[in-house]
Amino acid sequence: MRINKNVYKLINWFYNKPIISGIIVFIFLSITFTFIAFQQNKIYKESKRIEMSNILNVITLNIDQTLKNCYTTTLTLALTIDENGIPQNFDSIGKRLLESNNSINAVQMVPNGVIKYTYPLIGNEKAMGLDILNLKHLQKEALKSIQNKKMYFAGPLELEQGGLGIVGRLPVYLKNKFWGFSAVIIKLDRLLNTSGINSIDNKKYSFQISKKNPLTQKENYFLPEKIKLSNSNYVWRYIPDGDWKLYLIDKNAATIFNKFIFSIILGLFLAFIFAFFTVLLLKKPAQLQFLIQEQANKLINIEIKFKTIFEQAALGIANFDRTSGKFIEINEKFCELLGYSESEMKNKDFQSITHPDDLDKDLEFVNKLTSGIIEQYSLEKRYITKNGKIIWVNLTVTPLFLNNNLKEFSFISIVEDITVRKRNEAKIKKTKYLLESLINTIDGIVWECDVNTFEFTFISKKVEDILGYTAEEWLSSKTFWKDHIYHEDRDYIVNFCSTRIVEKLDHDFEYRMVAKDGSIIWLRDIVTLVIKDNKVVRLRGIMIDITGTKKTEKDLKTSFNLVINQNERLLNFSHIVSHNLRSHSSNISSLIGLIEITENNEERKEIMGLLKSVSNSLNDTMIHLNEVVSIQTTVSLATEKINVHNYIETTLKVLSVQIKSSNATINNLVSNDVEIKYNPAYMESILYNIISNAIRYKHKEREPIITIKYYNENEFKVLEISDNGIGIDLEKNKDKVFGMYKTFTDNKDSKGIGLFITKNQVEAMGGNIIVESELNIGTIFRIYFL
Amino acid sequence: MIKKSIWIIDDDLTYKFIIQKIIAKSELFESVKTFSNGEEASIALKSTLNFPHQIPDIILLDIEMPIMNGWEFMSEISILKPIIEEKNINIFISSSSIANDDKIKAAENPNIRGYLTKPVTLDDLMKIAS
Repeated sequence: MRINKNVYKLINWFYNKPIISGIIVFIFLSITFTFIAFQQNKIYKESKRIEMSNILNVITLNIDQTLKNCYTTTLTLALTIDENGIPQNFDSIGKRLLESNNSINAVQMVPNGVIKYTYPLIGNEKAMGLDILNLKHLQKEALKSIQNKKMYFAGPLELEQGGLGIVGRLPVYLKNKFWGFSAVIIKLDRLLNTSGINSIDNKKYSFQISKKNPLTQKENYFLPEKIKLSNSNYVWRYIPDGDWKLYLIDKNAATIFNKFIFSIILGLFLAFIFAFFTVLLLKKPAQLQFLIQEQANKLINIEIKFKTIFEQAALGIANFDRTSGKFIEINEKFCELLGYSESEMKNKDFQSITHPDDLDKDLEFVNKLTSGIIEQYSLEKRYITKNGKIIWVNLTVTPLFLNNNLKEFSFISIVEDITVRKRNEAKIKKTKYLLESLINTIDGIVWECDVNTFEFTFISKKVEDILGYTAEEWLSSKTFWKDHIYHEDRDYIVNFCSTRIVEKLDHDFEYRMVAKDGSIIWLRDIVTLVIKDNKVVRLRGIMIDITGTKKTEKDLKTSFNLVINQNERLLNFSHIVSHNLRSHSSNISSLIGLIEITENNEERKEIMGLLKSVSNSLNDTMIHLNEVVSIQTTVSLATEKINVHNYIETTLKVLSVQIKSSNATINNLVSNDVEIKYNPAYMESILYNIISNAIRYKHKEREPIITIKYYNENEFKVLEISDNGIGIDLEKNKDKVFGMYKTFTDNKDSKGIGLFITKNQVEAMGGNIIVESELNIGTIFRIYFL
Repeated sequence: MIKKSIWIIDDDLTYKFIIQKIIAKSELFESVKTFSNGEEASIALKSTLNFPHQIPDIILLDIEMPIMNGWEFMSEISILKPIIEEKNINIFISSSSIANDDKIKAAENPNIRGYLTKPVTLDDLMKIAS
């Protein structure tokens, strides 16, 4: 395993460093390819060399052969020498030799170094007689053959006969003494031909023969081609018989070199390509590795994010198993909400922490979710915390599919602590309830309506108590309010409201509405305008039942009026009293004053008389006033059951004188059984006053007819006394009729006090007296009894 | 001094007796005419248009009278205002009423020269005569 690991590590290293690996590959391959190129080159060169060697060998062989042939030839020639040292049959032998050896151009016999015999003579004449041994340029080579006692080929040299050629000389010894040479002459061309030099592919190779110049010791090249000898582009052979160096030069050595370079370049290129691809290839894993790393990082980040969200969420999040309900994963908030630790939670299931009242609903939802009826559900429910507290949560449960498999899933539940919210909701509900009950217990109809249509949007329950209609009935009609205003008030009220609304003023007004049972209810409506953005958006108000108040108001008004009246009368009374008393008293003082200044007895008597009458009037006035005062201040009046008919009869008796003298007819139409509870004295006085008035104010032209009736009118009992007298101008004297000391007739008997007293008496008994009259027709007095 | 004519408009007989006596005693007035109520007096006054020499210089007017009282009389003769002013008829209220309202009413009425409270004395007469 270790080894594996190490290997793995190593491979990984490569994977991780593609460029270096590439470089390594490049180097390696370069080396390899270079090596291969080298080898190739070497091989090539070798093969070339071998080839060249072979060729050269062949040439050498050929030349050797030729030389050997020449040796044979020269030997043959030498053998022709007789004992005298004269070659026999030179020409014919020469001819024959030339025919058999086509590689030689000429044969020579050179006794003592002087060319004496030459075959063919033609063309070689110049060579005849050459003293080789004494010619500097030939001498050395010739000597050499003598030295070596072997055949030596001299040249290539410029032949005397012209042209380049080689001379092969065999030293001949006769009787152990140097005779001379037998020589062959091979023209260079022929040598080149026969050796096969000429058949060398000129394109490929070039040939060179060289010999160390015996004089200069420099290497002489005998072929015209210029050559560059470098290390590896030639092969050479040494022909000792001529001291020749044969060079075979590769003309295309450069080519080889070029090829070599090319191979190297190619190799490098290939290496580069390989390396490049290696890099690419290796890069891929590296890239992959990088991507993997990136993805892994991303994944890690996501996981961290998720974990953070999960852990630090302000909501409780949990993952629980759908069949058992047990918690698989639970975040901190959830645990915090419930008071358990994470490990404790993982041992629990959701059922155990759910409030029993909410459990059934929860389970129902879970079932629906499990069977796919619903995709998620939300539920407000309670959990029971570790220390027994109950908290309200808003629970949302969604399925968590495992591996995208719709069949396998667990549940994710998210809970939000809404305990505070629930508490607040309860508070609000309570407040709302309180408010509503408050509104409904207010002793007034609290309402709200639309400003334009007067359609009511809210009306408190009190409406049922006050107007008999339920709130629903009221709200069911858009124009309920308008329709149920008392018809007399309707137009004015609606107008009034509209005007106030336009003026943007709150208003407070009273009007009547018709209740369900038809009764009229007085309401005081206090209206507030709700203004938003300077526009009236709705009206709010309260209607208070003031029917009772109104009644009281009416009564108060009545009482007030009564008091005012009373006051007025009192004032009046006091004026009149003071006036009357004053007039009498002033008269008395004036009269006394007159008495004092009068001297005349007659006058004095007259004045005394007046004094007496004034004094009497004063007395009378005092009595009247007393009467009036006593009527007005009597607290409790004694009442009796009196028979009206009888009292009338009694009064008529009292007035019998006046009735007779005026010939009046009195019709007592009051039935005998009418009985009222009344103060008897008052009744007498009232009857006396009115009836005596009726008689007194009779019409001149007719006899008075007085009719007395008694009937009921509404809740009052009415005693009506009508006459046909002179009547009263009520337009003029209405206020004077019942006034104190107010007279408006010429009748001397009218004192202006009778009806005043009568009115007082009637009102003291709680009734009323009214008069109807027409001048010259008659008068009707009606007395209302309670 | 030209003696003036005076009218007494009052329903109180005793008072009329008294005032006439005082007038006689004062010797300030040439003629005295008495009326019992506003109606009588107003009729008489209207008729004086035809008899200008009968127009009184001074009128003593009572308030409390039957048929037509003092105030009613004043409103009745208001149409005679130009004559009153032209002929300089001095109308005085002479009443036993001491009510402030009456006094104020008298003050407000441009035709009423003054307010006398009964009993009217010789001095009062002398004042109004001048």
